[in-house]
Amino acid sequence: MLAPALAAAAILVLLPVLDTLWLSLHDVILYRPRSRPFIGLANYTRALTDPVFWESLGNSLVWVICAVSLQFTLGFATALLLNRSFAWRGIARALVVVPWALPSVIIGLIWTWMLDFNLGVLNNIGVMLGILPHSVPWLAQSSTAMGGVILAVVWQGFPFFAVTLLAGLQAIPGELYEAASIDGAGAWGKFRHITLPGLAGVIATALLLRMIWVANSLDLILVMTGGGPGTATQTLPLHAFLTAWSGGNYGQGSALAVLLTLLLLGVVVTYVWRSRAE
Amino acid sequence: MKRRTLLTGATATLAAAPLARPHAQKPVTIRWWYHFDDPKATPDELVAAFEKENPGIKVEAENIPWGGGGDYDNRLYTSIIANNGPDTAMVKFNNLARLIEMDALTPLDKWIDAWPGKSDITTDLWRLHTAPDGKRYYMPLQYVVLYLYVRLDLLAKQNLKVPTNFDEFLVAAKALTGGEQWGFGMRGGSGGHDSWMPFAFGTGAKPMKGGFVSPAALAQNRFFIDLHREHKVTPPSAPTDAFLQIVNNLKAGRVAMTVHHISTANTMVETFGDSITAVPVPRGPNGTGFATFGDGSTCVFSASKNPEAAWKWISWLSTGPNNVLYNKAAGQLTVTTSGAANWALHPKRFVDATVQSLPIAGVLPNLPQTADFTRVVWPQNTQKALLGQIQPDEMMQAFEKLFYG
Amino acid sequence: MRPIKRLLGTELPVVLILGFALLPWIWMMLSSIRPDAELTHSPIALWPQQLTLIHHIELLKRTSFAQNLRDSLIVACGAVTLGLTLALPAAYAFSRFRFRGRNWLRTQFLVINMFPVVMLILPLFVLMRDFGLLDTYFALIAGHATFTLPFAIWLLTSYVDGIPQELDQAAMIDGATRMQAMLLVVLPLAMPGVVAVGIYLFITSWNEYLFALMMTGRNVRTVTVALQLFIGENQIQWGLLMAGGTLVALPATILFLFAQRRLVGGLTGGAVKG
Repeated sequence: MLAPALAAAAILVLLPVLDTLWLSLHDVILYRPRSRPFIGLANYTRALTDPVFWESLGNSLVWVICAVSLQFTLGFATALLLNRSFAWRGIARALVVVPWALPSVIIGLIWTWMLDFNLGVLNNIGVMLGILPHSVPWLAQSSTAMGGVILAVVWQGFPFFAVTLLAGLQAIPGELYEAASIDGAGAWGKFRHITLPGLAGVIATALLLRMIWVANSLDLILVMTGGGPGTATQTLPLHAFLTAWSGGNYGQGSALAVLLTLLLLGVVVTYVWRSRAE
Repeated sequence: MKRRTLLTGATATLAAAPLARPHAQKPVTIRWWYHFDDPKATPDELVAAFEKENPGIKVEAENIPWGGGGDYDNRLYTSIIANNGPDTAMVKFNNLARLIEMDALTPLDKWIDAWPGKSDITTDLWRLHTAPDGKRYYMPLQYVVLYLYVRLDLLAKQNLKVPTNFDEFLVAAKALTGGEQWGFGMRGGSGGHDSWMPFAFGTGAKPMKGGFVSPAALAQNRFFIDLHREHKVTPPSAPTDAFLQIVNNLKAGRVAMTVHHISTANTMVETFGDSITAVPVPRGPNGTGFATFGDGSTCVFSASKNPEAAWKWISWLSTGPNNVLYNKAAGQLTVTTSGAANWALHPKRFVDATVQSLPIAGVLPNLPQTADFTRVVWPQNTQKALLGQIQPDEMMQAFEKLFYG
Repeated sequence: MRPIKRLLGTELPVVLILGFALLPWIWMMLSSIRPDAELTHSPIALWPQQLTLIHHIELLKRTSFAQNLRDSLIVACGAVTLGLTLALPAAYAFSRFRFRGRNWLRTQFLVINMFPVVMLILPLFVLMRDFGLLDTYFALIAGHATFTLPFAIWLLTSYVDGIPQELDQAAMIDGATRMQAMLLVVLPLAMPGVVAVGIYLFITSWNEYLFALMMTGRNVRTVTVALQLFIGENQIQWGLLMAGGTLVALPATILFLFAQRRLVGGLTGGAVKG
């Protein structure tokens, strides 16, 4: 039963990954296709001694932790609300997927525009309501640029949690809640002792998957700030991408990608190890 | 059985027409990649006209997303490396050195020298289209030169003339700044190097070895950064403002001057009528100046199996009336002198500002690092300098280091 | 539940969340039906002064957008079909069989997905060229399905885990084969999960850009690539972009409008509340 999935993954993903792994041990310059000498781990040592790597890693941590935790919190709340019964529930469930159903480039452009200093509607409304004393160049300041792109990615990503957790909520047998009610459990008690444990598997999986996705995603940042101002929003995958394609240093970019994968692997192995222990 | 019939048929045809060249009978197909700003414009008409004139050649035109330049380039490099590239494509100078180093380009010199349309393209343009090794790999197709947009009505209110040098520019920028309006729409975001070069190299420094850290360039770069940090004549969003923002800010009346080129002239006139004009970028005290040249070129790839056909197509595109037709779709200026004579697509004052800038037009060094400079190194360092994270001089040292080690 | 409590405790928060979810989309929709000149007016008016459908008309008449929507739909539906066909048996196996290296194998599926896709494009392009698949629907469908496969398998496994094993064992004692037990017993019960994963597959494929940029060309062109064509070197066709952006969100939303009924399947909906 596993064979088809394994074969597909092996051909289309594993081969290219191994290829990239091999390239990361060579001095591969995109525009020098004929010369690619083997240089061992030099790409890796160069990456690890470059301050930009560590800066990008720090940005990546902020990006992943903030984005995933906010997406999750909002998505979970949405799932719980949309699991209750009210007249227009069906339409509400459908409408909530709208942000998720948009391509990143559109999301990036629309949020850049809404956050714009001169013509942005958010600054406009903020000033009108008296929340902001004056327009703020959100994406042009180191202190607020990361917040701006995180806002956009939270908007894009919370419906994923809403949908997956909503589906997970269906698997919890209703009898459990009825029994708890008879035992006199309150809403909070039911949530803690029935909903959370019943959803634990789905929550853990969804968090893990989303973390990997967010850690690897760069299109939204690329559209909104290109990593700037300066390097304020440059994350690790963006650094790898720019090094490989814009800088033309494909070997170095591959090494950065491998390092990113190893870091994520650490998180996943911890997860699998812990889930086995349970 | 079937094969034999086919073979017999082929032999019969060959025998019947011994004088016909086999090439002339089989139309060749060339793949051409392009990118247009307006998705409603297509080159279909041009292709049809060309194919009618050249029955032996079919052109497969493919629209590739520009994606800030990165998407187009990545797609191009990927397909060249995978040996699946087009025969010819629209290309830009910032990739010239890399493509040469890849041996991906065919020199066009022997064709250009025998081409009747050669003299219809000015020597200034041919000068700019000559690679560092003295050969010509790129064919001029369209061009722009960056100039300065100025709101005449706002200047008149302050009793100021259109600035022609950097001192006057600063005076005007300061006078035009106040409240919700700024004198200069600075572009610190992606693509901003184009509008920075007229400042950095405006007083005689050259974008070549040592030029980035020459005293003139350093002083001018400090002047540029100070427009934002010291004089605050630019919107606070300047560090990440890209072309959409500077153009919209100008249209919205939030800034009074900005550096851009003729592709936006018509929308400016729609908004402001006669109150807006364009002039060559400010000059230095000795009449020196630097106007960034924005190219749009075509090339023939060395992997092409039909280089002659590809050359026919691109030289056809750069010929008088065809080039005019092409640039109507592209929204830029024709490279031919004959076509420019009756140019009606843009108001004359914007064409004049462009043409007057040609003698001082220049480009970045043609090095493999140039693409990285325009996309990453320039915005990163400039933004840091604009935010005060590094000194302006450090930014120039970073550029010199990138290009010349 | 009392109406007032439901209004304040449920409907009001839902309205707030939907407001957050929809306002940017509504803003985009509003800007697609106003003339371009209004968009560069400072300060920008919240409500359009003048309404126009010019952008939508141009989008559908003078660009290839309608065709691109069709291509995207084909690719996304293909990716869902292929993805679910491959993921469901795999998820069932991971959930039900205890074999050596099960955890290791399952982790491998994630490991290959941790690799940034941008670095896989070059080798994948060469691979697709070798198979002669460039610029075909299948190249994108296969590409998208394999990239979403690990996520789909993991998510489905955690949903299937929630269905008691006794049910399929009971079915097999009654004479059903493994396959029958999976398709007739587990699949209906796992329907909420299948719908969620299906939506995930659809949306991921629908929004994918990099693959579509690299692997397609004249024959196949998806909406994400088409939208990028509105962002030129010196001009952004803002009206077209907003009109396209407004439309592009609709298919997945409508799809989910119908599919969400299936979210109330499974154990509770059918067996207890029904």
